[in-house]
Amino acid sequence: MMPTLQFIDASKTFGDGHNTIKALKPTTFSANEGELIAIIGPSGSGKSTFLTIAGGLQTASEGDVLINGRSLKNMREKELAQVRLQDIGFILQASNLVPFLTVDKQFSLLDRVKQHNMSPEERTHLFQTLGIEHLLQQLPNDLSGGERQRVAIAKALYTKPAILLADEPTASLDSDRAFEVMSLLQKQTKLQNNTTIVVTHDTRLIPYFDKVFKMTDGVLKQEN
Amino acid sequence: MFLAWNEIKQNKLRFILISSVLLLIAYLVFFLSGLVNGLANMNREAVDKWQADAIILTDESDKSLPQSILSTDDVSQVKNANHLAPIAQINAIASRVSDEDTRQGVAIFAVQPDDFIAPNITDGHMFGRKGDVVAADYLKSEGFKVGDKVKLSSSDKYVTIVGFTDHARFNAAPVLYTSFETMQQIKGLPIESDPLVNAVVVQSENISTIKVPTSLEVVETETFIEKLPGYAAQNITLTLMIAFLIVISSVIIAIFLYVLTVQKASMFGVLKAQGISNAYLARSVVAQTFILTVVGVALGFALTWLTGAFLPYKVPVQFDILSMLIYALIFIIVAILGAVFSVLSIFKIDPLKAIGG
Ligand SMILES: Nc1ncnc2c1ncn2[C@@H]1O[C@H](COP(=O)(O)OP(=O)(O)O)[C@@H](O)[C@H]1O
Ligand SMILES: [Mg+2]
Repeated sequence: MMPTLQFIDASKTFGDGHNTIKALKPTTFSANEGELIAIIGPSGSGKSTFLTIAGGLQTASEGDVLINGRSLKNMREKELAQVRLQDIGFILQASNLVPFLTVDKQFSLLDRVKQHNMSPEERTHLFQTLGIEHLLQQLPNDLSGGERQRVAIAKALYTKPAILLADEPTASLDSDRAFEVMSLLQKQTKLQNNTTIVVTHDTRLIPYFDKVFKMTDGVLKQEN
Repeated sequence: MFLAWNEIKQNKLRFILISSVLLLIAYLVFFLSGLVNGLANMNREAVDKWQADAIILTDESDKSLPQSILSTDDVSQVKNANHLAPIAQINAIASRVSDEDTRQGVAIFAVQPDDFIAPNITDGHMFGRKGDVVAADYLKSEGFKVGDKVKLSSSDKYVTIVGFTDHARFNAAPVLYTSFETMQQIKGLPIESDPLVNAVVVQSENISTIKVPTSLEVVETETFIEKLPGYAAQNITLTLMIAFLIVISSVIIAIFLYVLTVQKASMFGVLKAQGISNAYLARSVVAQTFILTVVGVALGFALTWLTGAFLPYKVPVQFDILSMLIYALIFIIVAILGAVFSVLSIFKIDPLKAIGG
């Protein structure tokens, strides 16, 4: 079975000349279908750098990253965007909602740019699990922080991505909701057989994950 | 279209304001184009009505009708024209005998009543007897009527309005059409003498084949009009004003759109992070510009039309649908070119920065 995501000696260096930061040391990593993976580590250790490289938002300085076996190394921005649209789902720290679209229309937009999203039944079920089915006619501004985050999670799951990347998805949720969201991510990962990688600070969530990695100064190491 | 339209629906006030600015600029452009047209017509509509291809004037007249004097001999030497119509012209101030205060500058044309340049009659009848004139119907609104005796500044004789014709202004003055006989009389010349002719108006398929004596010159109608006193200067000035207005408004539109787009940079960044292509976002911005300008320009068009219906007759504004449509098209194209700048700024947005990872 081919890994969905592979890092092959991939590293990231910022800056030029003598003033460089090696945010990600040469890393080899692979993740398979149906895996729910946690990345923990102190702030500034390189977790977001790892996640954005995995999602094709930036490319590795050295080494290569493969998504479903395809190398991202020499892709142009247009091809990377296509990979992000087709294969990746992001749950971002910042809300990824369009300010002038109602919750319902956030999903219509996705239907316009990408095919093979969730069926109406799957969608209804997703909305119920996340508790957002009563928010469909609201604008992002009318939602609370937690509601926005749940809609953002629904958006990321809606396109059924092969790789779901979440950067602190539960940061703005109370702990009951946080546990609910984690069990939803767990369920979706098994149901859709995708790869989900979650960056988190919250060690109480660790039991939900299949694998836990720790990032320290740009070095990624498996914990268990 | 989806993003463009939903954003407009959700931010109505902002987009109404932008469309209103476009509306006002379009209105100004349309109005000025109406003024160009109206002022041009004041100078040329009598000539346009002749549907002449050329005018034959003396070489030394420098294409000025009053400065050109032809003899009957000259006229008889013109060869190879389909239709020839001699014409004489003087300017005068006309006033009604019954009311001397109604002074009005006029251009008097002497023509032969059966020539192609003879006026069509919209009221009354064609001049026949000595002293008869057919007047431009603009004089009606100055109080002139069929049967009015009219005094001319350059003459001690009176003429009588026996009919009216439409669209007859020359160099900003209403025209009085009359016979060569009456013209001799107005000029105080003996009627029996050979009538003086200022020019010969010509219809001809190919004016280059027309043969004239060396003292004469065949002038294309459009060139003749361009040479009318003040005509070209006025046209160039107003057309330049319109051009500047379009350039200035395009800069304003471009700045508007740019600011709108920059405000949404983080949203575009997030959408790009999700893999939505530059092309999709660019189409959305262009579609939005298109909607805004088409609405603004269409309302400007309607407002111009409405204004036109209420303008007093004296205002020399005449709207020409074709030139208005051309300006509308230029306006929309220019706005879309302005949108392209914003689109370039979208291309430059780094999705990584926008998501603040
Ligand atoms: N675009 C960038 N330019 C320069 N340095 C960066 C950039 N992105 C991240 N870094 C640096 O790389 C290191 C890792 O950052 P990051 O991946 O955001 O850490 P984390 O998400 O674990 O807090 C930090 O020292 C950060 O300052
Ligand atoms: Mg981070």
